[in-house]
Amino acid sequence: MSIIEAKDVKKWFGDFQALKGISMEIQEGEVLVVCGPSGSGKSTFIRCINRLEQHQEGSIIVDGIELTNDIKNIEAIRSEVGMVFQSFNLFPHLTVLQNITLAPTWVRKKSKSDSEQKAMELLERVGIPEQANKFPGQLSGGQQQRVAIARALAMEPKIMLFDEPTSALDPEMIKEVLDVMKELAKSGMTMIVVTHEMGFAKEVADRVMLFDDGLMVEENTPNEFFDNPKNDRTKLFLSQIL
Amino acid sequence: MVKLLSKIGAFFRNVVVLKWAVQFIFLGGLIALIFNYLNIAVGNLANTNIAFSWGFLGETPGVSIAEGLYTLPKSGLQMLQTGMLNMLRITVTGIIAATFFGTILGIARLSNNYIVEKTATSLLEVVRNVPLLVQILFFQALILSLPRLEVYDVGSVLFHASSKGVALSWPNRQDGAWMFMLYFLITLYISNRVYKQRVKLLEEQGRETKPFLWSLSALVILFAVGWYGGYRIVGIIGFVSGFISQGLEVLPGIFYQILLSVVAGYISITSVRKQISSKRSGELQGKYSDDDYFKMIITIVIAIVFIALMFAPVGQGIAKFLVGDEPTFKSDWGLPQFFGGISNALDWSITGAPYELNMAEIEQVGTTKFKKYSTEVGKSLTVGYFATWLGVVIYTAIFISEIVRAGIMAVSKGQSEAGLSLGLRRSSLLRLIVLPQAVRIMLPPMGNQYLNLAKNTSLGIAVGFPEVVAVGQTLYNQEGQTLPVFLIWMIFFSTVSLTLSTIVNYYNRKLKIVER
Amino acid sequence: MNIDIKKQTRVIKENLFSSPVSTLLTFITSYIMISFFRGMFGFATAPDKDWLSVLNNMQLYMVQAYPESDFIRIWICVGLGFIFSGLSVGLWETEEKTSLSKLCLTFSKIVSGIIFLTIIAPTNSVVVSTATGIREQVEVFSYAERIPLLSILIGLLVVFFLISKINLSFNKSLLVSIYLFVPIILLWIMKIPTIQLDSENQRVFPDPLMPIANSTKIPWTLIWISFVVAYLVGVYFKNKKQFKNAVSISWVLLPLLIFSWIFKKPLIDLNELIRNDIPVFIGFLLIGVLTIYLINNKIVEKFYSYYLGFLVVVTIASLFLKVILLVKAALLLLLLFSAIIPAVSTSAKGKRSLTIVWIVSLTTTAFLLEGGTSTTQIVVPGSSIFGGFSLTWLLAIFGTYVSFPLGVLLALGRNSSLPIIRGVCTGIIELVRSVPYITWLFFASVTMAVFLPDGVEFNLIVRVLIVTAFFSGAYFAENIRGGLQSIPKGQFEAADAIGMNTVQKTSLIVLPQALRAIVPTLVSSIITSFKDSSLVTIIGLFDFLTIGRMVIGNQSIPINFIGHDRENLLFIAFVYWIFTFTLSRRSMKFEKRLGLGER
Ligand SMILES: Nc1ncnc2c1ncn2[C@@H]1O[C@H](COP(=O)(O)OP(=O)(O)O)[C@@H](O)[C@H]1O
Ligand SMILES: [Mg+2]
Repeated sequence: MSIIEAKDVKKWFGDFQALKGISMEIQEGEVLVVCGPSGSGKSTFIRCINRLEQHQEGSIIVDGIELTNDIKNIEAIRSEVGMVFQSFNLFPHLTVLQNITLAPTWVRKKSKSDSEQKAMELLERVGIPEQANKFPGQLSGGQQQRVAIARALAMEPKIMLFDEPTSALDPEMIKEVLDVMKELAKSGMTMIVVTHEMGFAKEVADRVMLFDDGLMVEENTPNEFFDNPKNDRTKLFLSQIL
Repeated sequence: MVKLLSKIGAFFRNVVVLKWAVQFIFLGGLIALIFNYLNIAVGNLANTNIAFSWGFLGETPGVSIAEGLYTLPKSGLQMLQTGMLNMLRITVTGIIAATFFGTILGIARLSNNYIVEKTATSLLEVVRNVPLLVQILFFQALILSLPRLEVYDVGSVLFHASSKGVALSWPNRQDGAWMFMLYFLITLYISNRVYKQRVKLLEEQGRETKPFLWSLSALVILFAVGWYGGYRIVGIIGFVSGFISQGLEVLPGIFYQILLSVVAGYISITSVRKQISSKRSGELQGKYSDDDYFKMIITIVIAIVFIALMFAPVGQGIAKFLVGDEPTFKSDWGLPQFFGGISNALDWSITGAPYELNMAEIEQVGTTKFKKYSTEVGKSLTVGYFATWLGVVIYTAIFISEIVRAGIMAVSKGQSEAGLSLGLRRSSLLRLIVLPQAVRIMLPPMGNQYLNLAKNTSLGIAVGFPEVVAVGQTLYNQEGQTLPVFLIWMIFFSTVSLTLSTIVNYYNRKLKIVER
Repeated sequence: MNIDIKKQTRVIKENLFSSPVSTLLTFITSYIMISFFRGMFGFATAPDKDWLSVLNNMQLYMVQAYPESDFIRIWICVGLGFIFSGLSVGLWETEEKTSLSKLCLTFSKIVSGIIFLTIIAPTNSVVVSTATGIREQVEVFSYAERIPLLSILIGLLVVFFLISKINLSFNKSLLVSIYLFVPIILLWIMKIPTIQLDSENQRVFPDPLMPIANSTKIPWTLIWISFVVAYLVGVYFKNKKQFKNAVSISWVLLPLLIFSWIFKKPLIDLNELIRNDIPVFIGFLLIGVLTIYLINNKIVEKFYSYYLGFLVVVTIASLFLKVILLVKAALLLLLLFSAIIPAVSTSAKGKRSLTIVWIVSLTTTAFLLEGGTSTTQIVVPGSSIFGGFSLTWLLAIFGTYVSFPLGVLLALGRNSSLPIIRGVCTGIIELVRSVPYITWLFFASVTMAVFLPDGVEFNLIVRVLIVTAFFSGAYFAENIRGGLQSIPKGQFEAADAIGMNTVQKTSLIVLPQALRAIVPTLVSSIITSFKDSSLVTIIGLFDFLTIGRMVIGNQSIPINFIGHDRENLLFIAFVYWIFTFTLSRRSMKFEKRLGLGER
């Protein structure tokens, strides 16, 4: 059974239609890379998956739960789906450790010692255990993004969403973040990654998708996508970014 | 059965339902609370035998006011009008003066000159840290300590100050002043048009057209023509107003009601239609969110309430419920009187110079020993007026100086360097580059200060200046109607605030458009 | 100190005479300043001014008619304030050092300023004779007085110059104690004219010189000593975090304690206490402790949400029912506690500390409530026990105190995404702000009574506090809204994405960030509250300003001070100035230290 199932998802902002009918299925453990020009609706779509935006038509079913206005479903989805943002969005008034333990203690109601232990494990995993008691403002961009990943993982999600996690980073920091994501992909996490890092897509993606103007114009395996695209739009896009 | 239950459960877990349920519970609680207190108030008023009523507005209060439009008001309304006018007098002149002094002080604080800068700063530190009320009281005490008016003072003077206040020479309004003022506004408009026209010519033909000189000469010529009787031309407007006024008097009251309901209906329908059309794109129609529906419903409800209010007897009934009294307002909203007033003020049979410059005069009332400044010629400022005016102007000017300083500093860093590198001189740099941008930053906080000034005029009550709060207090001490007086204050001050902020916002928006 | 004359002249030239316009401005401003000073000096020293009208009425200014037998309460209030200030200075002292020579430089600058002013001070002053109404010149500052004064000042200057050679530096906080030491010494040695009455209640001329504040010097000295001791204690506990937290919380509770237990003398009914309060207290104590220890029990956990819902209903119901105040407050406290218990009390350590917090907060609440609601045993003739400066402070501090939470709520409401709540909050804020404070004071003094149910009567001071809460609350709300809007949208999204609900988002993410951004406005709001409190004179409360302008201005027994209100107004202005000026200076420094502005 597929873990995410989207059918004909449509979304308007006022009189502007951002999503014009997107359908897709993702299996458990699959890594999906989404790319496409700016303003094509990539962020809007993955934000619909954890209900940061509401879609207006069509249906999205995540892990058997349909996304409706039912508050119980929304709460359930939010704790199953972790999200990493382009601009990190760490809480500047809390230390790194507090950033990570916040959700487990308050949302999952875990004990403080348990969640701190778990947080230290996660920091170890993303490679910055020594930064635990610093404030986000004292870290570099790459370190901040890794904390953000740890924060999302602390909720033990089944699915991770990444919205251009490396676009706000300097080149030398991109690698450290991508390494963490690769490790995560290999551990069997279901991931949807919006990125323009084609190396990453080639190496770990199971499928690559191209969005354009609110529509999904191509869906393919990485090899086919890069070497032998079906759609002209894809060729144009690849020629522009490569 | 189980299915139905789970459906009901899901209904109450729906975020949209929850959202509106919370809000309506909140609103219900609030209304209940207000209703509760209103009930208590009604009960209490019934016990004290002072039924809520607006009647005092028509009755003669039997007290006199120290200064203003009606010193012996015939009705509560006239009394309040006097207070309001007094308040507006200080507010308008105060805003102009405070802006002027505040700007000078602000620039002084940026001066390279050590003494000038330190003087301005110490003034700021003193004024800002002492309560305004204390300052006003102190000014009053200072004036009261001046020598009294004596017999040998009687006569005409350029300027005079005593424990009775201050008198100045002043251009006094004559019969034609209103017409001239209107004429002058038109003149300003024309010379502005001339300026723009010449600038356009300059841009199109690329030759020097001297726009400033042209508009200035237009202004001067028109002004001169107007001063010597040319202003009578606006009498045409008065003539037309007279006609309108007579025409309006003939119309029945229902006409106004229908007119206003139609306007209300039209406005609500267009706004709903605008909202609907903003959700359409091509053939695909976006879905309305709950908030969109709410907005539409609110618009329509307001329109319906308004229309209902317009029409008797529903409107009369609601009005009676709200004010507890037979509504005394005229169904014609005073429009005929308004136009009648205009036609009286703008009468072209008026002749003579619009203003006359007079010396201040100190006169002896009859043969008594009582001496006072004449209120007819020149300008006399009472102690209360002077102390309040000086207090609010200095206080506001200090805050404005901070705004001006911050505004200029915010702009000047990078921009000045850019300007200097273009070869501009320092003076033209300030005028052409820094000030226009600084004004944009300064305007919103400046507007706040103007509002504060308007509100601070109410401190005049402490020095016996009869502004609207002081007058209102006298009035309710006479009649016991505290609640209506409080409502009037509220409406009056809200109106003034709203007007002021509308003006400031208008300029703010205008400046923002220039920015693009 | 070798002065480079050439450099100095160049600096002067650049600063004062850089261009003809600047030169002109220099002269004009100097002229205006000097003549203003001479005018003020002449005004203040003119023989028709009776400054004794200020000095002789200090007690009236401070506490109005508070009975002398209970002055110890006031001294305890002031003493507590100083002790906590001393503790805070010690706890939060910075490593900033200052050197003796720097200090001397500041002092010599001040002394030079005084020398300059002494030189330019006028010899004569113009006085309008009250009898004849004719202006006449009176000598106010003769050369015989001026020259000794000048020589003393110059001597001081020399002393400072010599001391500045000593190479010594010390901690800046120490300065505070030194600055406070000076007035204490002055209290003991300075002598000023006072008013003495003879047996027939006639004023004795000339007024004898007496030590300033004869009756208060011992309490002040004691307070100074406790300040220094508190400072040292603070330095000692510098690295104890718990101690710091305790002091911060004490600052919040201090005003409540002062006004409910120390300033007034609560009349406690023992019978009532034993029958009502103690059982209620013990009952709630047990419920709270039980909740803390049982919450993670498998069986109890299931019923937690029902328990919470039940508590909400009971609390809201109790607010409208006639139960004793302690029950209402304790229910509210229990509700707040129960909401956070499950998250905190997961470990044994958490349970233990939570129990302590619960006991302390319940005790404090009960204690304060008991003192605050009972009537006072202090009998003051005429008006309420608060008058003069104590009333001014009461209004300023409680105005801020009550209005702050209200402002937070209004700001959150105005920023909410729920249109009705947003509309209502916007309406309240704008309506309250559009009308001047004085009209709200009139509302409190004459209109509010209409809205109160039969039998309920509030003291005028309480009514004023209620409207002040709304008025400054609305202004606060606008400031806080600025702080809220400065939080980027991403913060909300991140909080949503990790599954937090609205309450958690608001209390854990939004408010901590917003409030940090508005610390400076908090101080300026206190200043505004302090200044605005002077308006209550218009509705006839006996605050600091009323005392000076109405009470002393009309005082004829035992000494006639009628007509000396200008001296009193100047004094009042000076006192207000001292407080607001130092407060704003402090807050500016504090702001810099916090490094606000940068996130
Ligand atoms: N909150 C919003 N309000 C209005 N328009 C929006 C909003 N968010 C996104 N859009 C519009 O939707 C389109 C798709 O946006 P987005 O999903 O962010 O694109 P991408 O991530 O592919 O660059 C853009 O044209 C954008 O302007
Ligand atoms: Mg995007």
